[in-house]
Amino acid sequence: MNAVVRPRNLQGNRACALAAIEAGCRFYGGYPITPSSEIAECMAAELPRVDGVFVQMEDEIASMGAVVGASIGGVKAMTATSGPGFSLKQENLGYAAAAEVPCVIVNVMRGGPSTGLPTRPAQGDVMQARWGTHGDHPVIVLTPASVMEIHAETRRAFELAERYRVPVVLLYDEVLGHLVETVAAPADAGASATRRFASGPADAYQPYRPGADGIPDMARPGDGYRTHTTGLIHDEDGFPTQAPARVGAVMARLLGKLDAHRDAIERAECVDCGDAEVVVVAYGITARAAARAVAEARARGIRAGLFRPITLWPFAERAFAAATRGARRIVVAELNAGQLALEIERLAGRERVGRLNRLDGEPLAPAAVLAAIADAAGATGER
Amino acid sequence: MSDTATRQIRLAGTGGQGLGLAGRLLADACVAAGHAVAQSQTYEPTSRGGSSRSDLVVADGTVDYPLVTALDALLLLDQAALEDAPALLREGALVVTDAALVPHPPAAQGELHALPLTARARELGNPRVANMVGLGALVGLAGWPAFEQVERAVETSTPARFRELNLAALRAGRALVATDASAA
Repeated sequence: MNAVVRPRNLQGNRACALAAIEAGCRFYGGYPITPSSEIAECMAAELPRVDGVFVQMEDEIASMGAVVGASIGGVKAMTATSGPGFSLKQENLGYAAAAEVPCVIVNVMRGGPSTGLPTRPAQGDVMQARWGTHGDHPVIVLTPASVMEIHAETRRAFELAERYRVPVVLLYDEVLGHLVETVAAPADAGASATRRFASGPADAYQPYRPGADGIPDMARPGDGYRTHTTGLIHDEDGFPTQAPARVGAVMARLLGKLDAHRDAIERAECVDCGDAEVVVVAYGITARAAARAVAEARARGIRAGLFRPITLWPFAERAFAAATRGARRIVVAELNAGQLALEIERLAGRERVGRLNRLDGEPLAPAAVLAAIADAAGATGER
Repeated sequence: MSDTATRQIRLAGTGGQGLGLAGRLLADACVAAGHAVAQSQTYEPTSRGGSSRSDLVVADGTVDYPLVTALDALLLLDQAALEDAPALLREGALVVTDAALVPHPPAAQGELHALPLTARARELGNPRVANMVGLGALVGLAGWPAFEQVERAVETSTPARFRELNLAALRAGRALVATDASAA
């Protein structure tokens, strides 16, 4: 039963931590970094109350290692960081992708590169979230745009991580991390996905033999199943192989395992796209500015729409195609030099796509997006 | 929702002056009064010094765009935090400044009240409650949200050992503007 609590003010980072605990997260390995530190602060306070474990590790490399280890140990686990720490976590994130270890990594984006702009927002880690670790690998990236949605998508991050045995990155910007919004959230949205542990005869268990859904069952330590975990490419028995036929089959399953589930993974919001001449693509805090800009453009008689990916990777290609089918121009607004724009250009063709970028540590304001919409509408000859 | 359907407030100063806390308390008071709030903050990567501000967007329904675009009220505790505020002030906006720490307040656009906020806090025993003095003055002048809601937010959300001092500072701020208004 969902008891609705009265409206209260909740910070984005705090919403993330509380949702993680609701989702059943019982291990946090982290190293605090602005602008994500409130997540660690909240987890340190709250996890012991639910018999969970909080460990502040010596650095981000170790914290990601601890998260992977805790998850192999049978516990839902997460970490949170920002750009510099996200860079350090990449090696062990890749290990989680290869060994199919469920885990949630939060990256509250600040200006980069390097230590960059510690307290200012950016959206510069869009490609790093997809391709930051070496080698072809599956990963899911979610990008909420409000405090309420941080709560919902954090819960969903754990669902997806456990169900598909994949690292899930929750990616949002400094503004949303520190934003306090009035929310009327359910006190507890109910139980989250439980991990599907191996059952059946122990002597027949193969740790990486996929089930009907393409996902292998994990062995719970202590249940008596023999397992082996490695970052080396491994066969269904968990042990390394370099035999081309086996490597080909193993990689095909690993890289394709999300494909059959994209309807469940992909999520996007379309606003006024039906008859739109100009569609803005935006996510995170930029989507909030774009929503206002689209409404104001409509009020001025410009047929504008908003396509807002909530699942950033894998990108919601079919929803995007449907939303932009009638659009003459597409404007990709983002706080980077043009990262998601590359994907949009790939899908829609470069001639239809314009870019609106900001890199000075300030968010894009509604007026800037509105001006870009008006320019694009002018280019379509509509105005 | 357009800008005109919201009330937008900025509390600005330097790191350590307690603008983040003041913003949170004001946001809590607004919610208690039945409004929806978005409160954002901007600060420098230093725990003391550097500009620091807390912005509020207050609406009767939901807040669509959560960052300020046109200010109805500005509390300014340090000249260094003026930044882009002058360009954001609406015609007739309420501006409350610390008279000693803001030698060059924003000109013309608003209703300016240069007040001895930090001096009054010092008289109360601790210059660090200048944020509460300023908040009391701002809410006293704006007449909104209800002063009692702000008092309640201070009571419930500040540590016990500072509660009485914070409340005294808040009320001292209101008293400053009661005087200011009668003198005007």
